[in-house]
Amino acid sequence: MTNHDDGLPNDPEGIRLMIHALIDGELDAAAALAVERRIAADPQLAAEHARIVALHAAVNRLPRPDVSDAFQARIAAIGVAAMAQQTQDEPAEPQQGAPPAQPGLIIPTGGGQRRNAETRPSQTRVLPRARRFGSFDWRAMAASIMISAVLASGATQWVMVNSASDSFAAAVASGHRRSLLAASPIDIVSSDRHTVKPWLDARIGVSPPAPDLAQDGYALIGGRVEVIADRPVPALVYRHREHLITLVAEPQQGGGTTAPDDLSSGGFSLVHWSDGAFSYWAISDMERPELDDFVARFRKAAV
Amino acid sequence: MLSEKALAERFGEVVLPHLGDALALARWLTGNAADAEDVVQEACVKAHAGIAGYAGGNARAWLLTIVRNTAYTWMSRNRPRAMLAVGDLGDLDEMAAAHGTRLPDEDGPEASLIARADTAALEAAIAALPQPFRETLVLRDINGLSYREIAAMLGVPMGTVMSRLARARGLLVSELGRAP
Repeated sequence: MTNHDDGLPNDPEGIRLMIHALIDGELDAAAALAVERRIAADPQLAAEHARIVALHAAVNRLPRPDVSDAFQARIAAIGVAAMAQQTQDEPAEPQQGAPPAQPGLIIPTGGGQRRNAETRPSQTRVLPRARRFGSFDWRAMAASIMISAVLASGATQWVMVNSASDSFAAAVASGHRRSLLAASPIDIVSSDRHTVKPWLDARIGVSPPAPDLAQDGYALIGGRVEVIADRPVPALVYRHREHLITLVAEPQQGGGTTAPDDLSSGGFSLVHWSDGAFSYWAISDMERPELDDFVARFRKAAV
Repeated sequence: MLSEKALAERFGEVVLPHLGDALALARWLTGNAADAEDVVQEACVKAHAGIAGYAGGNARAWLLTIVRNTAYTWMSRNRPRAMLAVGDLGDLDEMAAAHGTRLPDEDGPEASLIARADTAALEAAIAALPQPFRETLVLRDINGLSYREIAAMLGVPMGTVMSRLARARGLLVSELGRAP
């Protein structure tokens, strides 16, 4: 084996690790190029590369465990149960070391401990007595519900939590913000709508119109699945210069057509409209006029 | 400070989309699908309790870290005997040798033979991997985490992740390449 001057390891074990890293997409362009050159020049490395690629594909084809509806509902209930308990409380005695079947009663570890240590014991102990001796604690309860409502709206910045449409907007907004923080804003990377649509269709049985607006300056870069109000909904991701646009398309049943409606707030532009088949939510950190331009072009192309 | 409602919303955003990945990891760590559901449910209770501590970043990696820890606690509780091999990584090289790792410059099987491997054979081969190799392979190839995320989760250097992954794949390749 000759010595190379490409910055890669020269021992067989080292170069083998680099082949794995290449297949795993862990190399930057320069290193990937260097490894590809080595592979091209060495039949043994090429054979190793082919084997790993074949194995990678075979592992990818393995069936994934189904998330049954019952299981999904059981897990979703963990969040809901704890919330209901917080606002409504429980007549039951506080339990020590309750079994996992009653998740809301577990004394949590880690980050949640402080929060619960402050709130839960006092409520669970005080309340049974309060029920017997009149309305004294009722006002404290009401106040704490008010406070949590105010905090919730403050945290999401899209106020009016009691309106279904607005809390949907809040979920769209936090989905978009979360996607900007995630390692990748998209689950399926493709500029080809013929890839994105079947992927969404296979995942959740719904696929909204996904026109590629690259000529208009809005390139389709992929899609993902958002979970909003306990339902999976498709989301398309477009790129305009340095900005990402998330377009959530909620399927509608017999809904009417509505004109674009501006819901922008908190540093994001958010536009909502419906075309009868889908209710669309477009969100981005672009300026409003630009997002309006995107919405206009999308509506024209999606007809 | 976040309200209960915001925390519950965050639970829905951070945990629910990744249940499939959580089940896949738990299934490969515990060895069967029924135990995997128990482990994931327990992990989600912990995730719910600790959701205030989730500080952004890859939600899937965050949840899978909890699933992994829960799986090991669960296994040490429910089948302590199976845990003997775990935790003692000193003799990994011997373990790998015992499993017949070939040297890199030996001729391996044809890639087409591996591509044709059937599901059952591949699943059996993965199940037979020594646990640290299996775990690394699953986190990378089934859960799709990056080397860096795996290194952070396992608390090992990235080079260790890379060599475990290469070993795991090498073992699978030689197992699948063994003509029936």
